[in-house]
Amino acid sequence: MVLAVKTVNLRIGYLDEEEEKIQWAVRGVDLEIQEGESFCLVGESGSGKTTLANAIAGILPPHAVTQGKVYIFDKLVVDDSSRNYNGVRGRIVNYIPQNPGTSLNPFLTIEDHFYYVLRDLYKYDKSKSKSIAIETLSKVGLTSEILDYYPHELSGGMKQRVLIALALASNARIIVADEPTSSVDASLRAGILGLLSKLNKEYRVTLIIVTHDIKMTSAICNRTAVMYSGEIVEIGKTSIILQSPKHPYTRMLMECVPILGVEKPLKPLPGEPTRIFEDISWCSFRERCPYASVECKTTPSMIPVGDDESHFVKCWRFHEVA
Amino acid sequence: MDLSRLIQRNLKKTRFIIGVVITTFILFLALFSPWIAPYPREGYGYVPLEYENRKLQPPSLNHLFGTDVLGRDLFSRIAIGASTAIIQAFTVIFLSLLIGLFAGISAAYFKGVVELVLNYLIELFMAIPAIVIALFLRLSTGPGLHVVIISLVTTWWAWYARITYVYAKSIVEMDYVVLAKLSGLSDLKIIERHVLRNIIQPITVQAISDLGSALLEASAINFMGLGLPPGHPDWGVILYEGITSLSLEAFIRAPWLVVFPGLFILITTLGFTLIADPLREDLDPRLRRRWRLWF
Amino acid sequence: MSEEVIKLERVTAGYKVVKGALSIWKQVNVVLRDISFSIGKSERLAIIGESGSGKTTLLKVILGLLKPIKGSVLLYGRDIYRIPDEEREKILRKIGYVPQDPYRSLNPVLKVKTIIGEPLEVIGENKEKIEKRVVEVARFVGLPWSALDDTPEELSGGMRQRVLIARAIIANPEILVLDEPTSALDVSIQAQILNLLNNIYSNFKPTMITVTHDLAVAQYLADRVIILKDGCIVEEGKLEEVLYNPRHEYTKTLVSSYLYTTTTNSVSGFNNKS
Repeated sequence: MVLAVKTVNLRIGYLDEEEEKIQWAVRGVDLEIQEGESFCLVGESGSGKTTLANAIAGILPPHAVTQGKVYIFDKLVVDDSSRNYNGVRGRIVNYIPQNPGTSLNPFLTIEDHFYYVLRDLYKYDKSKSKSIAIETLSKVGLTSEILDYYPHELSGGMKQRVLIALALASNARIIVADEPTSSVDASLRAGILGLLSKLNKEYRVTLIIVTHDIKMTSAICNRTAVMYSGEIVEIGKTSIILQSPKHPYTRMLMECVPILGVEKPLKPLPGEPTRIFEDISWCSFRERCPYASVECKTTPSMIPVGDDESHFVKCWRFHEVA
Repeated sequence: MDLSRLIQRNLKKTRFIIGVVITTFILFLALFSPWIAPYPREGYGYVPLEYENRKLQPPSLNHLFGTDVLGRDLFSRIAIGASTAIIQAFTVIFLSLLIGLFAGISAAYFKGVVELVLNYLIELFMAIPAIVIALFLRLSTGPGLHVVIISLVTTWWAWYARITYVYAKSIVEMDYVVLAKLSGLSDLKIIERHVLRNIIQPITVQAISDLGSALLEASAINFMGLGLPPGHPDWGVILYEGITSLSLEAFIRAPWLVVFPGLFILITTLGFTLIADPLREDLDPRLRRRWRLWF
Repeated sequence: MSEEVIKLERVTAGYKVVKGALSIWKQVNVVLRDISFSIGKSERLAIIGESGSGKTTLLKVILGLLKPIKGSVLLYGRDIYRIPDEEREKILRKIGYVPQDPYRSLNPVLKVKTIIGEPLEVIGENKEKIEKRVVEVARFVGLPWSALDDTPEELSGGMRQRVLIARAIIANPEILVLDEPTSALDVSIQAQILNLLNNIYSNFKPTMITVTHDLAVAQYLADRVIILKDGCIVEEGKLEEVLYNPRHEYTKTLVSSYLYTTTTNSVSGFNNKS
């Protein structure tokens, strides 16, 4: 197996307004994603999941500060403060933005979108880019008719498909999708998810999905990492995590998602997601955790759970979480 | 962000402090010029009896900025002129701001016909040059301060009405205005609490930075001889007198007549701009510079 | 069904499109077509629709903000668009409204307690009474006491939503209208807010109308649902009936998409044409 993405003690922060302090959005993440995997990053807003995904996709803003290392197919793209995504961004990693409504240029036809991407990456001419466009559009279930359309003539679901096709057209081997279904109507969600899963299975594209909805991941992702205030708190096979979540936070995320047709009382944890920007020596979830005790005054390390070799949890008392 | 916090934050910025120092200096001059000026009567336009001996003297200890063609002490004229400058700039901006706020908020809030008519009026008045109105007033009513004020206000109010309209338009669409309407809050109260309070800060900052432009335009009208009569202590008038009363040759002989009033117009404008610019940056983060300048 | 609180009769509504100042022909962009339904006292209704279905317009019509082109909107038996303004205001004050986006619904320059107390201020309550009631309501919705003196900018999304809910219930409304109450919130906060809203219902028994795109949320906040599509009601009925026995094609895809995203693990052969 080839590693598609590997991060070593990755820390990403942003300078605050006065440009004096760095607020760390991602605090020490070690992550390995195999080629051909479909991987899911789950977390709430402020958990650092989007920042981490952006670092993989190579679209961190210039004022972001990085420490640690990121390898993409053995190429070192982030080496402490130096970032070099040349030859990786667009060609190997591609990105599907969150909001399809604002991610396409209203002045360009769909064909031009493909043309400019392919011209910049591979110096293809118009006819070649057109044939690639038709080919990739058919992969996402769209016909070549829409090549002459402008984005406003397409529905939300179609725009999302065009964005996926654009990501595919450059022959990317890793696709990072940021909340691919959050701005698509519920009746179209299944189609989009099915499509992403098809890309993963048929074309062996490594898929990294960022979402806040832990249940949604079950449909397509085979591995899941749960993030809380900049750290990965639980990682493992999706099916195992959904069946027996070991971190109290994962458990809470599962319990408070309303499920259609299952009328159960919602049991939310008290408080709000804490945002921690400095390095701390205690467990970041301590304040909201019903299991918190004296041990939690020290940061737990990633502990193997034991039910599966890839299941790790960052909690001292995981065996009590049932 | 409230005003005191805004000012406190900006006291760290060098250019803000420079702006405050300059403006305070000009305001100080405007208030106390009769006591500062060595020849206050000449400052108000009085021509000394022995003017033949005193005219066109270069700057010296006795006459800090030299004397003009009628022998008056130029420093006294400029110092007394500071109050005229401040009065003109502040009156024009204040009146325009009042009218503009009223018109802009009405257009955005009441919509429909009011919006339509006011928008046409705004466009109409933005298209009329102030100088044409000044010329008309000068010819029909004679010279005076009112020419400057009226001609500038007729064009400046439209500018504030337009900015207010744009700001208020986005506020009126906000859900809290809808909520207030549903609760049955009166229109006046909604405008005061939800609209005006949200737009007053950026508009005030805009007004501060416009003080400089208003001074420039007022000086221009006076310089052309349309506004205040000759002899009046005003920087524009002093420039006008300095240039018209001399031939070119003499102008080269006595450059202080042009340099000093021009300089004062420049630094006053600069003072207002230096105060407003950092304030505006704080209100609108998009304007914030990524890389700090030396000040 | 007990007394009808809200009743819509064949409401058609839309927006006038004015092109230029002198256009004599005003085009009307019809968004809602022939909508009729009624809600009884203490009933909980959800209006389900996706983007472009006209659910926001329907809310505007109910809240007295948009006069329908045809049809009538009856609140407590009175057509709110055909009675004098003062009377309408009086009736509309019985509605507590929680708008959709907590980030656009709070005036950033006001203190939280002023925002919450506004509906009482309009009625002309005295200051101490308002203050007392604000503290009471804030405690009920779980807003920390210290937040009352802050401006909304310092609050998180969940706290903002609590402020809006507190404002909606402060004047003891008989009708509670919720526009996408949780769509802008994280899941853990969403659960807190849903529990809070249920708590409000069990305490005060208001008539509750929830507009949402999320069927799963609707099941916590409603007993009866109306499914809107392209400005028409395509299905109406008890929540369970609609969930387990959907009749209209659209409802079927809607429900199946949920089952798909939440429980099924396989995705083979599912290719929904958009």
